[in-house]
Amino acid sequence: MNASFTRFLRSNGWSIGLFGLLGVLLVFTKLIQPSYGSSGVGALANAALPFAFATAAQAIVVIAGGIDLSIASMMAVSSVTAAVLMDGASEQSAIFVVIFVLLLGLTMGAINGTLIVLTRVPDIVVTLAMLFVWEGVALLILKAPGGAAAEWLKGLIVGTVGIPGIPTTITDWIPKALVLLAVAIGIVWIPVRRSRLGFSIYAIGSDALAAFRSGVAVGRTRVAAYALAGLFAAMGGLVLTMSTGIGAPIPGPYLLASVAAVVLGGVALGGGKGGLLGPILAVFILRLVRTDLTFLSVDPNITTVIEGIIMVGVVILGGLVALRARRT
Amino acid sequence: MKLFPYAAAAALVWAGMGGTAAAQDMYTIGVSNTVQGNGWREEMVCAIRAQARASGRVESLNIAHRNTDAAGQLEDIRNLIEAGVDAIVLNPANSEGINPAIKEATDAGIVVVAVDQAVTEPSAYIVSNNQEEYAYIGAKWLFEQLGGDGDVIYMRGAAGASADDDRNTGFQRALAEFPDINVAHEVFTGWQQDQGKQQILDYIATGIPFDGIWTSGIDNVIVDALVESDVPLVPVVGADNAGFVGQLNSVDGLVGAAVTNPGSIGGAGITLAIDLLDGNMPDDRTVLVQPVLWENGTEAGRAQLAAAADPSLDPEWPVSISVPNWTTYSKEDIIACKGPGE
Repeated sequence: MNASFTRFLRSNGWSIGLFGLLGVLLVFTKLIQPSYGSSGVGALANAALPFAFATAAQAIVVIAGGIDLSIASMMAVSSVTAAVLMDGASEQSAIFVVIFVLLLGLTMGAINGTLIVLTRVPDIVVTLAMLFVWEGVALLILKAPGGAAAEWLKGLIVGTVGIPGIPTTITDWIPKALVLLAVAIGIVWIPVRRSRLGFSIYAIGSDALAAFRSGVAVGRTRVAAYALAGLFAAMGGLVLTMSTGIGAPIPGPYLLASVAAVVLGGVALGGGKGGLLGPILAVFILRLVRTDLTFLSVDPNITTVIEGIIMVGVVILGGLVALRARRT
Repeated sequence: MKLFPYAAAAALVWAGMGGTAAAQDMYTIGVSNTVQGNGWREEMVCAIRAQARASGRVESLNIAHRNTDAAGQLEDIRNLIEAGVDAIVLNPANSEGINPAIKEATDAGIVVVAVDQAVTEPSAYIVSNNQEEYAYIGAKWLFEQLGGDGDVIYMRGAAGASADDDRNTGFQRALAEFPDINVAHEVFTGWQQDQGKQQILDYIATGIPFDGIWTSGIDNVIVDALVESDVPLVPVVGADNAGFVGQLNSVDGLVGAAVTNPGSIGGAGITLAIDLLDGNMPDDRTVLVQPVLWENGTEAGRAQLAAAADPSLDPEWPVSISVPNWTTYSKEDIIACKGPGE
């Protein structure tokens, strides 16, 4: 085994473990529901979409040593803004709506980050306050679910991709939602991660003082991390509007789910460690657990308990693994 | 020709057996609900379970019951489609957001019945309480009690929920008929008891007088707050929740009205789903259950309230635990909250 492969295994061990867990769960799903197939995978990708963007947003902030409690509310603002602007507008103009909403997300995130840097009030307090602010903004924009979405946007996450030359028996297993997720996250995260900004985000999350002494602009990096989170939250809001065809002003259950997936995905809550792949895999695992519990017709009140136990169990396990790694 | 009657009887029995055999297909029904821990919704789910069991026609229920949004309900409906259910009974998170999944379900030959609130997808069937009328008759009664003049507190449901929006339409319609009624304070209780009580206590603490309170079903805690704060009891409108109905019967000096909003509508959804699976199509895709107002100011109203009162129910549960012609379970069944095979 060569050195670079060993290093790959060590730095991605947690994600590889999650991949394995997802694989086991898929096999288990097929066993309890023999008809489970490509359409089920498509439904899973669709269900995971908003959670995955919320989780990506949360992961960046947590890596930078913070936490953002306003993510679900920013998603609601983005979702209603998109739905209101697209209502009655032409199909072509929707592209400008998408760009505007993404910029709006960046701005909301930057406002969160700037407030934290300027006021020096802890992240959790500022973003808790902003949770209510953005929630109110969403309700001001749209007081009840409504609006519309362009047909081509809705079509972006429906069905599977057709690739010329590849038989449909294979492409049936590639839902558009999954492709959209990979492209949207990759286009933002890969360049950031490889840039100076990416290193700075990890550095301030690891040790802000050391980062400062090594010449990292801590405040600016923090604002950038929150702005990126806002951008992913805006993507999450957009996919909500794309999947439901409307905007809903009341934030969905994405905040706690994002924190759960971030932790399950191997990002240290103290900051500086982890990536986006693990948390997104964790989202798929948590969604698939929900699907399995539906297939098994488990009592709905027990379902929530089981989801919680799985989360606590995996995190405890992760903590033990981390503890052992530190000792050796 | 003595044989003929026997032959006819035999033929009838034969036909009857054939008929029952055909009618006794057993179905698997999926359920999707997006509000958990609210008395009304819990009663709805128990009505679904009790009716499925009482019908004897449901093999098993597959219930997705959690707090989520429209996107989460899309997920639940798609999971139910994958699970291969014959019908889905759901309480929609909103009227449009889950249309894509409903369409996928009906395209796959699954019967979809929306209960409590309507959906705009034309392939779904709807059994709903008339929410606009619910708010209108209660608000109108309240404004009449005040002689058409006064300050009212308007305690709504959850901001952005379609049932709340429909109720607001009804409330505003009544308000337009009484120009001298002033909405002194408008809040969203989120249909949460603790939140509603805190909100009314906060308002009482301001010392600003008010003449009446309209609630969107968070009612008994409001009466509790008035009694505990030792302020004059103003007229209160609520829903037919067991706790509030009890208060209308027993709290000295309380004038109020309960508007029915049966959570047992869930049971009616099961009945309609089985009917549809049997091939019996209703005349209309939408069935609206009309609300009724019980007031404790008149003899007739007091009699209705006394008959409806049921201290054996959870105070948050509506007392209308059945829907006439639609549900066949007993009170014990719905309280036991057991589905088929449990």
